[in-house]
Amino acid sequence: MKKLILPFFLISGIALGQTKLKPAIDKQAAAIESKVIEWRRDIHQNPELGNNEFRTAKKIADHLRALGIEVTEGVAVTGVVGLLKGGKPGPTVALRADMDALPVTERADLPFKSTVITTYNGQQTGVMHACGHDTHVAILMGVAEVLAGMRSELQGNVKFIFQPAEEGIYQEGVTSWGAKQMVEEGVMQNVDAIFGLHISSQTEVGKIGYRSGPAQAAVDNLEIIVHGTQAHGASPWSGVDPIVTSAQIITGLQTILSRSVNVTQNPAVVTVGAIHGGIRHNIIPEKVEMIGTIRTFGDDQQALVHKRINEIATNIAESAGARAEVKITKLYPTTVNDPELTAKMIATIESAAGKENVRMNPPVTGAEDFSFYQREKPGLFIGLGGMKKGGDPTKTPSHHTPDFYLDEGGFVLGMRVLSYFVVDYMGMKK
Amino acid sequence: MKRILIPLLLLSVSASGQSKLRTTIDKQAAAVESKVIEWRRDFHQHPELGNQEFRTAKIIADHLRALGMEVTEGVAVTGVVGVLRGDKPGPMVALRADMDALPVTERADLPFKSQVTTSYNGQETGVMHACGHDSHVAILMGTAEILAGMKDQLEGSVKFIFQPAEEGVSDVDMAGAELMVKEGVMQDVDVIFGLHIWAQVEAGKIGYRAGPTMAAVDILGIEVNGTQAHGASPWSGVDPIVTSAQIITGLQTILSRSVNVTQNPAVVTVGAIHGGIRHNIIPEKVELIGTIRTFGAEQQSLVHRRVNEIATKIAESAGGSAKVSITKLYPATVNPPDLTAKMLPSIQAAAGTDHVVILDPMTGSEDFSFFQQEKPGFFIFLGGMKKGADPLKTPSHHTPDFYLDESGFTLGVKALGYFVVDYMGMKK
Repeated sequence: MKKLILPFFLISGIALGQTKLKPAIDKQAAAIESKVIEWRRDIHQNPELGNNEFRTAKKIADHLRALGIEVTEGVAVTGVVGLLKGGKPGPTVALRADMDALPVTERADLPFKSTVITTYNGQQTGVMHACGHDTHVAILMGVAEVLAGMRSELQGNVKFIFQPAEEGIYQEGVTSWGAKQMVEEGVMQNVDAIFGLHISSQTEVGKIGYRSGPAQAAVDNLEIIVHGTQAHGASPWSGVDPIVTSAQIITGLQTILSRSVNVTQNPAVVTVGAIHGGIRHNIIPEKVEMIGTIRTFGDDQQALVHKRINEIATNIAESAGARAEVKITKLYPTTVNDPELTAKMIATIESAAGKENVRMNPPVTGAEDFSFYQREKPGLFIGLGGMKKGGDPTKTPSHHTPDFYLDEGGFVLGMRVLSYFVVDYMGMKK
Repeated sequence: MKRILIPLLLLSVSASGQSKLRTTIDKQAAAVESKVIEWRRDFHQHPELGNQEFRTAKIIADHLRALGMEVTEGVAVTGVVGVLRGDKPGPMVALRADMDALPVTERADLPFKSQVTTSYNGQETGVMHACGHDSHVAILMGTAEILAGMKDQLEGSVKFIFQPAEEGVSDVDMAGAELMVKEGVMQDVDVIFGLHIWAQVEAGKIGYRAGPTMAAVDILGIEVNGTQAHGASPWSGVDPIVTSAQIITGLQTILSRSVNVTQNPAVVTVGAIHGGIRHNIIPEKVELIGTIRTFGAEQQSLVHRRVNEIATKIAESAGGSAKVSITKLYPATVNPPDLTAKMLPSIQAAAGTDHVVILDPMTGSEDFSFFQQEKPGFFIFLGGMKKGADPLKTPSHHTPDFYLDESGFTLGVKALGYFVVDYMGMKK
């Protein structure tokens, strides 16, 4: 009995030891709230597009260094990585924030409204933190400050990953950016677990949403070129009509969801977003080009959907005497919250937000490159409320739109939950 | 018996009258051949686009006047109408030639190749008689010369209709045959004949078809309206691309299910589809444009009705809407079966029975149909391909390499001349 009781005691003692830090976290987080809001407003007013986050990165690096954290700059172009070494041995827990803004012109009337403009794809546009990455940076800077203040008591290390270009770099020849590039540069090598959050303008301040398993979709670009044989519109029999063939292919693609995907497991989306072919009423064109997007939830499902797209497009084209060229470019894999890690950390989220403020999210068909970290090590990605209390989510401007707006009242909860993740995980791992 | 014999005798007398005239036509047609070729080469070298056939019209008018005809110019903008009054009473027989050239740059290496260039829809282009209307004008001028010389023997009158803009004029509501009809050119006419030179039929041959011969052509526009959405959440919108795909697929059933294809063919083609700008945005609308070819008013209205039903109902079934617009251009060219049967001996006599071929219906169209909507009309195809050539390898009409063998022109003059005297002989 003794032998059994002893380890039990040790574990709960240690868990308690880290849990004991929570009141200190709460206190510190509340104390720096106004600083975090100030940082966020500064970054909001000075937004920078992906791989151009120079000012943001410098601000972060200066802050981390001032906290006595080891800093590496220029990771994956503009990324900043800080390593806080705890006073006691233990795992390395990574926390991640993304830094980039979007080519969106801000419309909201705020004192810290962005007036930055740039040239994007040859077009003049405003630059705006229209997805809330400014808050991610500010919250994680706050967490760094909170945890740096209790480093001697930390049973392990904390790696702060400030990542560029989450929204993607769509340039000819660029195949790696953001999280993927950070992973390629080895940022996850000595990490045991990673946590991250995304602010949500459709979730009330004070609430946290999560989902175990596939949570956000993998996104792939789809391109189908259907080659027929040109003919006069009045004598279709002398050619092969790529417009009719494309119509059959688009209709055929609908059966992927209705017939091939086990929709009781995970959803999926196949969308043809644009179709272009032909120049005149009476000429059957030589080819039709279609582009689209594929959203899937898991590698097996992704492979199935890709296989079906290929089969449907090429075989329907062949059935008409045409030929279809299918090109699928994988962008981000599925954001999968490790079920075991998620189960373990639910209590942590509940202790930060209050049980009644935690809800399970439905799968989201938007994608997130946090997934690249999760392919290396177990990771949990949660949603933090950023909507005014009592707001109507259906009337609140969406992410990526000019009217996107965040209530700043949820930042403290963000700092607390990330810090709780660190100390609870360290306590469990001991 | 006697009562039967007398009309028979009368008929054969008249037939022998016709034979005499045919012999004159044969002789005269051969005599004017070199002039016809010369005229044609001159027109070929000086092509003019629709409603701009000023030089062509002037040459025609001068020629008809010199032959002693009543000439009206400026009909339907640049058209020329000449009336030859025969010395004996009888019907008014119209013969029609179209005068306009096309915005095509000639590639064939001919001494009388067109060097004319113009600006068309804002683009610099050559102008070329790439559909053979130059030969139609020259042949009809030759026919006018011959028949003018037989004025005293003609039992009726001949109206020579030189029509502009058969190929259409994009910036006006009405042109060519339709406008000529509107200006009254068919009012005193009993019957009309016309021919089209054909680069895929051997010189010396004539092709024809009774009933629907060339298609009606209509322009189709379908605008499919959905509701824009993010490509990752299609359930929050209505996808006009999927709807358009269903509509295009649905349109195929018009031919496979709705049209009685044992009677006449039809064609529905979507020639262009455009919608969307990005991978991950479901657009608000998709635009389809196309062409409809039908062979008769009833079939045309059936096809139009089905296009409308399919597009609007499929769009509604998806929660979207479809706006269908159909613009009628030319009606079907229909050779009335009884007139065709009556005139078949004339073309057989002109070309020789073994040189007359029945053609498949053509899905191309011809505004001769507007004349036929007024009075019975017969439209034939005159061989313009070098003897022994492969029609599959001969450049098509409207292409830069379009080429005509001139040896068939005399047959054209003869056939039109025979139509006139034979029809007058029948109507007696």
